[in-house]
Parts: sequence; structure tokens; C-alpha cells
Amino acid sequence: MFSRHLKNKVFASLTRFSLFVCLGILTFLLFTITLQGIKAFSLSFFFTPSRDFGASGGILYQIIGSLLLVIVAALLVLPFAVGTAIYRSECVKSDRIKRYLDLAIFCLNSIPSVTYGLFGLILFVNIFNTGISWFVGSIILAIMMLPTVTITTYQAMNSIPQHYRENGYALGLNRIQVIRRIVLPQSFHGITTGLLIGLARAVGETAPIMFIATAFSGVMVPNGLNEPVATLPTHILALAQQATNPDALRNAWGASLTLIIFVMLFSTLAYFARVKFKVLSQR
Amino acid sequence: MAGVKLQTRPMRSRNFWSKIAHMGIYGSTLVSTALVALILLTLLLQSGPAIFEAGHTLHMTEWNPAEGVFGIVPMIVGSFLVMVIALALAVPTGILAAIYIAETRSESVKRMARSSLEILAGIPSIVYGLIGVAFLSIWIADIFNLQTGRLILTAGILLAVMILPTILSLTEDAISNVPDQYKENAHALGLYRYEVIKEAILPQAKADITGAVLLSLGRALGETMAVMLVIGSIDRLPDPIYNVLSSGQTITSKLGREVGESAFGSTHFSVLVFMSLILVALSLLLTIMSQTFLRADKHRV
Repeated sequence: MFSRHLKNKVFASLTRFSLFVCLGILTFLLFTITLQGIKAFSLSFFFTPSRDFGASGGILYQIIGSLLLVIVAALLVLPFAVGTAIYRSECVKSDRIKRYLDLAIFCLNSIPSVTYGLFGLILFVNIFNTGISWFVGSIILAIMMLPTVTITTYQAMNSIPQHYRENGYALGLNRIQVIRRIVLPQSFHGITTGLLIGLARAVGETAPIMFIATAFSGVMVPNGLNEPVATLPTHILALAQQATNPDALRNAWGASLTLIIFVMLFSTLAYFARVKFKVLSQR
Repeated sequence: MAGVKLQTRPMRSRNFWSKIAHMGIYGSTLVSTALVALILLTLLLQSGPAIFEAGHTLHMTEWNPAEGVFGIVPMIVGSFLVMVIALALAVPTGILAAIYIAETRSESVKRMARSSLEILAGIPSIVYGLIGVAFLSIWIADIFNLQTGRLILTAGILLAVMILPTILSLTEDAISNVPDQYKENAHALGLYRYEVIKEAILPQAKADITGAVLLSLGRALGETMAVMLVIGSIDRLPDPIYNVLSSGQTITSKLGREVGESAFGSTHFSVLVFMSLILVALSLLLTIMSQTFLRADKHRV
């Protein structure tokens, strides 16, 4: 039987030990990714296409492809997410409908990413017969971003004080005018933040797009909706599978660091959007 | 002069635009909510052949598409083992570290911990996979003196690292949300810090922590890229069944490896869709359970 004092000491050192483990993992991850990634970096790495199955050359078309996929996905998801958020916040009174709506959004959020890929492959690539197409990838990424953007937008709308809306109605505005003149401008920061967080997540996704939107080599800027693109995550995947080749591995680390820089960029922009665009009523 | 413009606009057009806007709002909501149903329906329809043509082989432990044998038991066992390893490593570490962060008086430690957690959560899973391939699997091969480091254990450890930020940040929230009075009362009774945490704080935060664990379990279950790169992708049961030092396969790694190769419409493809359906069902179950835990707690406090 330990004394109470001893137990307390043991517990304190256990928590400290766990924290050190976590810090160790964090430091290892950040140092490894940065150090290994920097080795591959050069100006030409970003501005030349890849050659020799990725072992030499750069990642120009992978960067273009990744950005194209996620930015189009963001544009596609915007109207649906904002519409759903408006409905949830302004139009529906019944608590039960709100609960069902939340449930649908949560379910969408919890579906594993590989399943989205499979869904896109069945419905678009095979049943609608689109073939491997970057636009299908954008649609699927848009579906994956939908919960994030909807929830963030809804939270921003929900925190607008009720008397703002009441003032609008008292001036004789109808519901749509209240939404357009009051709700949308006052929740603009939520929409931008949500979109940027969605972009930060979507740009690193591999599983949903690898069957339906990407090709590994010989791909340049697509000429139409029905063409595949090359993306950073699928490029890393292909290079990781030839990990015994040191040149391929070096380029994989370079592509990884580039990808993480994009994620950080979108997250930082999301942070500034939240702070900068926040309207007076919500500060 | 926006107000004047509004007044001079004829009433009919105002109603017209209002109707269009309402239709847009209702339409987009309908699409958003129908997506879940559409995804489930698509998977369900496509997994029909798996049940009718290969239903009698699904329970087997052998996977051989050439002979029409589609036993999915190895994948399910693989997923289960990987999840158990990941949780066994990540839950204690995450909860203990969260207790330290939540209980520390230093604001700068808290701030640093929160921002580094955000950074960790932002690392894409394919990059974790690369780390697993380039470092973790080689270390593990060296430690256990094996020919390959691509094992069930490797996938479990990698997943533990990946879910650690989720567990840590949600648990830290849960502990910080316990009202100070509970803590102060317990301290006033002369309890040691360990006893305060064990008797006063953890019981209060229990529902939230359970929710966090279930949520990260769902994440671990659905994680594809990292697991696929380090698990070795062999469709056999480990021998003996708890031998985590053998290569294996999870549901997600199987999907990631073979969906691209199998022909659409074949029984092979359909069995893959069926496995994906199992995956979705489990993830939905875990999410709904975690939400009930998280919500139950909000009602109580």
C-alpha cells in the first residue's frame, strides 16, 4: 500500500512524462519534415515539371493541380453551405428539424474519406461515365468540406444578436432582405473562416481523390473538365511507394513540406479572417 | 441611397426575388441533407452482388478473387487490432498529458500546447504515412530484428500518433470545463492533487472524455493513407491471432490498395463496396455515440 504522498508524486511524474512524450513526438515530426523537406527545395523544384517518375525534376503541375482541385471545390461548396446555414439559423423554428439537420451534417462529417472516393468512383466515374476527371475530384472534396463550412457559417449567424434582426423587421424588411442586409454581412467572417479551414483540410486529402481525379505522370494543366490532374498528396503517395530510391524519397519530403506550407497558409489566413473580418457586434 | 431604391422598386419584383431566394435556401438544404442518403444508397446498391454472389464466402479467412473466395475476416481482425494498439497507446498518454496541461498554472505552457496541437492536427495523413515508411517501419524492423517493418504494430503506433492531438485537445477542454468549485471543495477537504483529479475532476469530465475517445476511435477506423503504407497489405490472419508483429490488412488499406485495380461491376469490386459499407456503419455508430456522450454532459452541467 503506497502512501498518499507517494501516489501523488508518482501521478505527477506520470503526467509530466506523458507531456514529454507528446513534446518529443511533436519536435521529431516538425524537425524531420522541415529538415528533410528543405533538402529538396530549390527555385527549380517549384517551377519545373516532374521527370523520371518523380525521382527528378520538380512539382510544378502537382502544385497547380492541388490548388485547382481545392479552389474549385471551395467555389462549389459555398452556395450549398451558406444556404444550409441560413436555413438552419433563419428559417426553421422546429427543434426536431434542427436536430435532424445536425445529424445529417454530423454523419457527413464522420464518413471515412476513402468511402467518399469509392462513392465518387461508382456514381460519377462509372454510372455518369465521366472517366477520371479533376472536376469530379472537386465535387467530392466539396462534399467533404460541406460540414465544416456549414457549421462555421451557422455558428457565426447564430451569434448575431437577435435585436439586429428585429430592427430590420421593424424597418419593414422581409426575411430575404434581413438575410441579405443583416445576416450575411454580419456573418461574413464565419463564411471566410469556414472556407479557409475547409481548404486547409481538403488540400491534404489523398484517399478521396486517388481513384477518381488524379494521374501520376505525364499530366499537365487540364484542358477540359474530363481530364485528370496531378496533385501533391497523390504525388507523395506514389513516391512513398518507391521509398528505396533516395532521390524519390527526397522529392517526397519536398512535396510534403510544400503541402504542409499550404495547409499552414490556409490555417493562418483562416485565423486572420476570423480576427480581421469580425464585425463590431461579435467582438 | 439604398433605402430610396428599395421603396421605388415595384412590390411584385420584391416578392419574386424573395421567392427565388427562398427556393435557393430550401434547395441547398435539401441537397446537403440528401447527400448522406445518396452515399448510403449508392454503396448499398453496389454491394448487392457481394451478398448474393459471394455471401457464402464472406465469413472465411481466405481472400482469393481468382477462385471467387472473398473472406473479409482478416481485414476486420486487422482493423480491430490496429485500433486496439492505437487506443492503448494514445488514450493514457493523451489523458495524462491533458491533465498536466489543464492543471498547470503557466498560461504560456497552455498557449504553446494549444498552438502546437493545431499544427499537429494540420499535418495531412499522407505525410504521416511517409514518416512511417521512411522512419518508423525501419526502426521497428531493427528493434525486433525482422526483415520488414511493415507490420500491424507499426500501423497501430502510427495511428496512435495521429489520434493523439484529437484526444489531447478534447480531453483538455473537458477538464478545463469542470467548474472550479468542485476542485476548490476537494482541495479544501485536504485531498492531494492526485486525489482531487481522481475523485473530483475525472468523474465530472468522464462523459466528455468518453466522447473524445469514441470520436478518435472513429478517426482511427477510417484512416487510410498512413495505415495503407505501413501495414504490409497481406490478406491473412496473423498467426496466432494476437501476433501484431506480422503484416496484415485493414478494411481501409484493402480499399485503398484494390479499389483502383478491380473492375467496376465485378464481384470483387462489390465485396470492396460491402466492406466500405461496414466501415461507414461503424463510423456513423461511433459518431452518434460520441455525440450522445458529449450532449448528455451538456444537459447535466
